[in-house]
Amino acid sequence: MLIKSLPSTWDVEITQAVNGKEALDAYRAGKADVMFLDLTMPVMDGYEVLENIQKEGLNSFVIVVSADIQPLAQERVKKLGAMAFIKKPVNPDLIESALKQYGIAL
Amino acid sequence: MSAMQLTEDQRDAMQEITNIAMGQAGSLLAELLGNFVNLSVPRIKVLALAEVARAIRDMVGSDIDVTAVRQSFQGYLTGEALVIYGQNGCTELGDLMGYDEELDRSEETELLLDVSNVLVGACLGGIVDQIKNLTEAHGTAELGFSAPSVMAESVPADALINPDKLSWTHALLVEVNFTLEGRNFISHLCMLMPEHSIEKMCSILDRFVESY
Amino acid sequence: MNGHITLNDSPQDINLPDFIVKWVDVGIFVVNKKMEVTLWNNFMCNHSGLGADAIVGKNLFECFPELPKAWLSKKILGVFLLKNFAFTSWEQRPYLFRFPHNRPITGGVDHMYQNCTFMPVKGAAGEVDSVCITLFDATDIGISQTALKKAMKSLSDSSNRDGLTGIYNRRYLELRLSAEFDRCRRYRDQFSFVLFDLDHFKRINDTYGHLAGDEVLRVVSSHINSLLRSVDVMGRYGGEEFGIILPATPMQSALILAERIRLAIEQAPVAYKGISIPVTVSIGIAEFEPDVPNYEHLIGCSDRALYHGKENGRNQVTCYTPELESKTASS
Repeated sequence: MLIKSLPSTWDVEITQAVNGKEALDAYRAGKADVMFLDLTMPVMDGYEVLENIQKEGLNSFVIVVSADIQPLAQERVKKLGAMAFIKKPVNPDLIESALKQYGIAL
Repeated sequence: MSAMQLTEDQRDAMQEITNIAMGQAGSLLAELLGNFVNLSVPRIKVLALAEVARAIRDMVGSDIDVTAVRQSFQGYLTGEALVIYGQNGCTELGDLMGYDEELDRSEETELLLDVSNVLVGACLGGIVDQIKNLTEAHGTAELGFSAPSVMAESVPADALINPDKLSWTHALLVEVNFTLEGRNFISHLCMLMPEHSIEKMCSILDRFVESY
Repeated sequence: MNGHITLNDSPQDINLPDFIVKWVDVGIFVVNKKMEVTLWNNFMCNHSGLGADAIVGKNLFECFPELPKAWLSKKILGVFLLKNFAFTSWEQRPYLFRFPHNRPITGGVDHMYQNCTFMPVKGAAGEVDSVCITLFDATDIGISQTALKKAMKSLSDSSNRDGLTGIYNRRYLELRLSAEFDRCRRYRDQFSFVLFDLDHFKRINDTYGHLAGDEVLRVVSSHINSLLRSVDVMGRYGGEEFGIILPATPMQSALILAERIRLAIEQAPVAYKGISIPVTVSIGIAEFEPDVPNYEHLIGCSDRALYHGKENGRNQVTCYTPELESKTASS
């Protein structure tokens, strides 16, 4: 559902991960320039993924996309280095503007 | 039997819808209790009657006593919601709501019913908000709720639902649980829908998948 | 008819929903965010004595100062905020408004029990403009539920009671003793068990008759019961033998209480048909120890102490110690 909300003009290759651990592995393998990260996931949740990215000093460009709308959740992911927080259900315009804000060519 | 299972797409869609609804319910709970709430990954499953006790055991654990509140919902979707609390759910709640004095039994029960009602209303309301434009009713599919009531107090989790006394064969189970950070509190919200609601839900989910 | 619903024989069109809201036998009223009443149906008028004219447009809490304002306004504001139904049940909160009920003759309660539902009324924009509250008369359910509960309680109570003395029976006493034993073992707490016996009870029966003996049992057990704390549990163990569970009580404190009991009974002969019957009791005390294997063993210890007191001349309190075993064995 998120994939279909991405700007249609954006020419990218998409790798999907079903949980946090897979996502982290893909990131480590350099498969992602931009990561859209959910927080509520099995095996490894989004917070742990962010922590690991931070710990390993990986160059991160993570946009958290989550249904967890507690203000504290947003605060926490920002502290862990997330670039943006987008609430579910996803508004495609917000994704586009977040990407543009960080200078990603669409 | 096979008709009574969700396809992978349908399950993903239900999980996504529930996740969003739960986020809203969790945020209300956090505000109500003044404590950060950890959300779970929603569990979506079509259950045969014989699997119910096992499903509940899998969710809450086998050798603990639980207290449960039930509430009916009716309207476009029909079913029952159970909110299951662990052993010290009641006392933890009183503590969190900032009641200094010890609550008497009535006050404790009223608090439990209120919190359950907020979770059920927010979660189901959130689900219906997302799907109401996909129903034949076109945006008018609102739910009515019965008053919540205490279904069981401090009973073994196994004894909560007795399959021998029930007549349905399949039900759609949607479960999420809320834990409080730094607290020994957990509540499981189980929404159970009977056969005819499953069929309705499936066609809604198909339309939800198509709409993306 | 163009879509209007009319009632037969009615000179003008009647708006049916309005008619129903007005006359239905359920309380319905609506408040806005300022807690001003915007609708007040006949049920509310009739039971509160305040007509719609008198209350619509006014603040609910000013019209009814006896309402629990802090709680109720929080409940109503919660519905505005959460956009969600809310409920109250007579079981936890018997009433919202203290209305008289419609069973003044047969009811046995002094007000109407109420179940209430609070419904968010959403405007076109989806915002909650006001809250509609419905109030169902649950008096009949309340009365029958309360009676049922009372009957169930007295039923379970009577199966736990001794028919003659009205105190707990042996079955219940052992049940509680077993539970207390398990509790103390788990939480490393302490308690004492007291066993006492009326001295020469056979002689009382033989001298004054069995009816006098029964009266002695009744009077002595109720006298002793009145000396106990509310947490203590006393039951008839058999014949003229009684047991008392003293939670959270070490042997030293149990001894003080037992001595008080012994003295009180000694000083208060039982009056029966103009005759004064002197009564004394012998008392044995055992204290819970973590290494005691089961509660039956604890009863055995208190029985040993009681037996020792009987041997030593009766009308006395004896605390169980392991040394008693050898003494009993040698005597």
